[in-house]
This record gives sequence, structure tokens and C-alpha cells, in this order.
Amino acid sequence: MKQRDIELLSSYLDGQLSPSDSARLETRLLTDPDLRSVLRDLRGARSLLRQLPLRKAPRNFRLTPKMVGRNPPLPRAYPAFRFTSALATILLFITLGLNFLRPQLASAPPAFGMGGGGAPDTFAAESAPATEAPAATEAPAVQEPSVAMAPMPTQTVPAQEDTARAVVETPAEKSGATANGIGGGPQEQQPQVPGAAPFVPPLWQWLLAGLALLSAFVMALMRQLSINRWRRK
Amino acid sequence: MNELALISDAQKGDLDAFNTLVLHYQDGVFNTALRILGDEDLAADAAQDAFISAFKSINTFRGGSFKAWLMRTVTNACYDELRRQKRRPTTPLEPDTDDGEEMDSPRWLADPGMTPDQKAEADELEHAIQHCLNNLPVEFKTVVVMADLQGMDYTEVAVAVRVPVGTIKSRLARARLRLRECLQGFSELLPAVFRLEEESTA
Repeated sequence: MKQRDIELLSSYLDGQLSPSDSARLETRLLTDPDLRSVLRDLRGARSLLRQLPLRKAPRNFRLTPKMVGRNPPLPRAYPAFRFTSALATILLFITLGLNFLRPQLASAPPAFGMGGGGAPDTFAAESAPATEAPAATEAPAVQEPSVAMAPMPTQTVPAQEDTARAVVETPAEKSGATANGIGGGPQEQQPQVPGAAPFVPPLWQWLLAGLALLSAFVMALMRQLSINRWRRK
Repeated sequence: MNELALISDAQKGDLDAFNTLVLHYQDGVFNTALRILGDEDLAADAAQDAFISAFKSINTFRGGSFKAWLMRTVTNACYDELRRQKRRPTTPLEPDTDDGEEMDSPRWLADPGMTPDQKAEADELEHAIQHCLNNLPVEFKTVVVMADLQGMDYTEVAVAVRVPVGTIKSRLARARLRLRECLQGFSELLPAVFRLEEESTA
């Protein structure tokens, strides 16, 4: 059986042939048993398929706004609150950072002021106490004059360890003194103010935190109200 | 239902109007997906995806048969699913029978007035037809499902599948013939009239 004949028979079953083609095919069907057999096969398959029950959809396929990526319309003031909340949060973290760094920044000025040359040496000496300490114990007598140069205002009775530390620090102070012509020792020992005033008063930080939280709360409220209103529609 | 007005409203973003169309076409879309994919859950997912995709691209509908346009969307969803299955083949969870055949779940929807025997026979016949459909190449299956199950004419099927009408005729004829050959293996399930025809031709 030619493919062309099968197509003609299939189209004939569906009434898709022109009247002239249909008439020609019907004439052939009268004389050709093979053609009739294929027509029966095609009709049988077509009938079986058409008898298949149409299933009911197992669920409703209605679309929700969420499915199509739609969000409820938010009030016009919503972006303003979002901006406020973000800004307050950023400012809060900046102020927290500044206040945290305040004591360290406060200790920095000697590096730029008079006798500041001693500061880096001091750090250098402190960073390697293990190597310098034996030297101090080996020759304490040589360093004695330096001990006298380094005032210890807060300690009345220097312990042996303190003496050693002072001895360690002395060469640095010495070099600072020689570099600047002024003794760096007194500035080195200048006591830091423990309760240095922060850059930003805590009250401002509380206000910023409150503002950020309040804005976030209002935003959440607005969003929830919008969703509820949208669902009711 | 004024289909054109609903389509026009849906094109303006009216989801309720589109949902009215969904309710009207959902059974047809689901059945098409079911016969192409052969699995109820996959068909439901494909139908849902097709409706979402249809809503998002409804502005590309420029008139003609909305059903054909919708069927093109569901066909694409089914092809996506079949491609996904080919990339990541899965093992069905249904238990096997002693013969190693997949056990059929008795969930086929049938006339509630049927006796249990009639229902069982109808279930088996439907299963046999679905089995033969599954053995067809997907492009044949799509055409035969649209023409014979959905009752769409050749022009509508051609629009849905995006091939010329001549190709539809050819695919449909070959698909029907292959189905008939396959179904002859289930002759005991076929209605008496088809068995008699078969015997008379033998």
C-alpha cells in the first residue's frame, strides 16, 4: 500500500478530501479489497481513540497572581519608609563603628605631635620583647641611667619585671630622644582617658535604631494590609 | 462565554478574564497533556505550566483559533517535560506485577454507572490505547491526540503544531495505522465490532 493512498484514506475518513477526490477514492474502494481493508483499520483506530473517555482535570488550573509573578500594589509611602529604614540602619552602623574606633583614634595623635617619633619605636620594642628581655637581664647596670630617665608615675614600688620592661623600653626612648632632641618618655607614659567622649552620643544611636525598627515595622504592616486587601478583591 | 472579549481583557492584564478561559479549556488541555505524556501528575503540571505560559504570552495571540493557540502552548510544555525526562530518566514508583509489568493503578475515570467488570474492561482498553500511544513518536502522538481526541480539524492542528496541513495529513495517517497495528495485540480487549472486522479481514 502506497503512503499516498493511506493519507487519502485517512483524510477521507475525516471528510477532508475534495468532492472529486472523494468520488475517485470511492470508485477505487469498490474494486480494491486491500484499500477497503486499510480503510477499516484506520476507521477502527480512529473510533477507538475517539471513544477514550475525556478525563476531568484533577484540580483547578486557575492562575493566582503569585503564579504569574504579580505582587500586591503597595502604598505610595512605602518606598519612603524603605529608604528611611535603610538610611537609619546604615547611619547606625557608621556611628557604632566610629564610636568603636574612637579610643584607638584618640591614642594616635602622638604620632603627629611633638615627640611622636618615640611611638613607633615603642611598638617595635613591644613587638619583640622576648629577644630584647635577655639583653636587659644580661646588662642591667648599663641601662640604669635610662631607668632614671623613664618616669613611672603610677607605680610607687617597681617590681623586678617592671624594671626589666622599663629597661627594654629605654633604648627606644633613647633613640626617640636622640632623634627629636626631646625625651619621648613622658608622652609614652601619658595615661589615656578611659571615658573618652564618643563621636556620636548614644542617644543618637538609640534614635537611629528606633527609627530603623519603626520604619521596618510600618513597612511590614503596609505590606500585610495590602496583601489582605488584594486577596479580598 | 464571549471568548474574544475575555481574550481582549486578558491581554490587558485581567487575570479573572483569563481564569474564565482556563475553566473552559482546562479539561481539554489536561487530556491532551495526559495522552502525550501518559502520566496524570506530569500532565497536571504541564497543563498548569501551559496556562501560566499562555497568560504571560497572551499578547502574542493575534486572532484565529484560541484553542489551537492554547494547544500549541500545552504541546510545548509537554515537549519540555519529555526533554527533561530524556535528560534525567526516572524510575516509576508504581509496583511491578509478578510478570515485571508495571501495575496499573485503578484510577481511570469511567462512567460511575458501570459495573465493576465493565469498568475493569474499560480501564484495560484505555490502558492498552495509552500503551500504544506511548509507543508512537511524539510528533505522531501529538497530531493524533489533537485530531482524534480533541476533535480539532487539520488547520487547527497545523496551527498548534506549526507544520503544514500536508504534514498533518501524513502524520495522522501513519499514526492511525501504527495504532491499529499495535492495538491488534490487545484484540481480546477490543469491542466486539472491531474484533469482527478483524476476523473478516483475516
